[in-house]
Amino acid sequence: MRYVVRALGWATKIVWILIVVFAATSVYSALNVRMGFGQPQVFLSSESIVISVPLFVNNTGLYDLSELNMTVAVMDYNGSLVSTSTTFVPSIPRGSSIETAHNVSMSLDDITSKLLNYLFNDTVFNVDMSLKLNFAHAIPFQISTNMTMPWGAPFYNFSIGQISYNYLNLTHQELIVSMTFENHSPYFGVDGTMQVEIYNANDNGELLGFSTSDLNVPSHSSYAGQVEMIVDASRITGSGEVHFYFETSAFSFGPVVMPYG
Amino acid sequence: MAEKGKTKSFARKFAPRAIKATLLVVITYLPFYFISTFIEPFQSFFPWYAPLTNIFTAVFIILLVAGVFTSGTIYQYMFGVARALVTMIFFIYVLNGGIIALAMPIAETTVNVMVDLRVILAMLVSVCLLGIGKNVVQAIDFASAKVETKEI
Repeated sequence: MRYVVRALGWATKIVWILIVVFAATSVYSALNVRMGFGQPQVFLSSESIVISVPLFVNNTGLYDLSELNMTVAVMDYNGSLVSTSTTFVPSIPRGSSIETAHNVSMSLDDITSKLLNYLFNDTVFNVDMSLKLNFAHAIPFQISTNMTMPWGAPFYNFSIGQISYNYLNLTHQELIVSMTFENHSPYFGVDGTMQVEIYNANDNGELLGFSTSDLNVPSHSSYAGQVEMIVDASRITGSGEVHFYFETSAFSFGPVVMPYG
Repeated sequence: MAEKGKTKSFARKFAPRAIKATLLVVITYLPFYFISTFIEPFQSFFPWYAPLTNIFTAVFIILLVAGVFTSGTIYQYMFGVARALVTMIFFIYVLNGGIIALAMPIAETTVNVMVDLRVILAMLVSVCLLGIGKNVVQAIDFASAKVETKEI
């Protein structure tokens, strides 16, 4: 019985020492882990917009970090998912550091087709961020936050003015369409071409004429311009539709249909 | 005369225990004091910690003193078991079952932090169980030794 008591006593002492040593070294190690984010960069391609956030972790502690998992979910104002992205680092051994980038990718197909609204209206995105990691292969740790990100529409307040006509001759007239918008986007300028097509109000909507013009509207600036085209005077009905097609370095979409008259 | 002798032997018996109990109380209280001082700047994140720790410290010290004063009897081990049980319940409660979740307001957002300390808690619970086991075995040993002495 004495030996059992003695053994239990030693076991208790040993486990206590292990706990104290592990707790102390864990706190020390956790204080020696440096983690941070760099300046975000935006990359545009023909298919997607990628917001790249550099991430660095410097583990000068006594224990390994493992299964680092960073997830960012972007949702629009009514809660539907716009983008979700994950960065996974399997292991960060003690005494080492890693540098990686967390890429939030948004398909421009989605933006231009399903989410056309974002091109013309400012909105606010909800961003859910979470970072999980396993400390010393024993202590899972998670940090998460929710924030709002204002979105500036590149074609905010897009509108056309009154259509005017210049008399050229008996058969043809010059049609002038004026338009204005503001590029509220902090991420990209609107650089490219815009094609404008004018349809009359006949049953089939006959094409009166079209014109292509260049666009160069930097971030946080407004645009006011006009498009001229020669049209057949006999087919002018005084009302109809204007179709806009945009082709920029960041995206291409159309038609955007606006009635006139 | 007899009363004086009784008082003397009582004092001789309990004075060392009182000193031992005082020393143990001081030694036991020191870690709680340092942990409380360390935790104090983060008090707003652990509002449940301070009152709970005060209660636990008081109960633990009472059981410790009772254990010292009842040494040489089977109650010493009972108080030992009670002490280990109280410690185990305290750890389970203060570590919130091993999952600690905090919400920290930073600038205009709230950052949620979650730490899974179940491994640490398992170690703490196991050490408490070892303590309980040791006290139970000691109590059995004590009781059997007493019976043997009586029989002889």
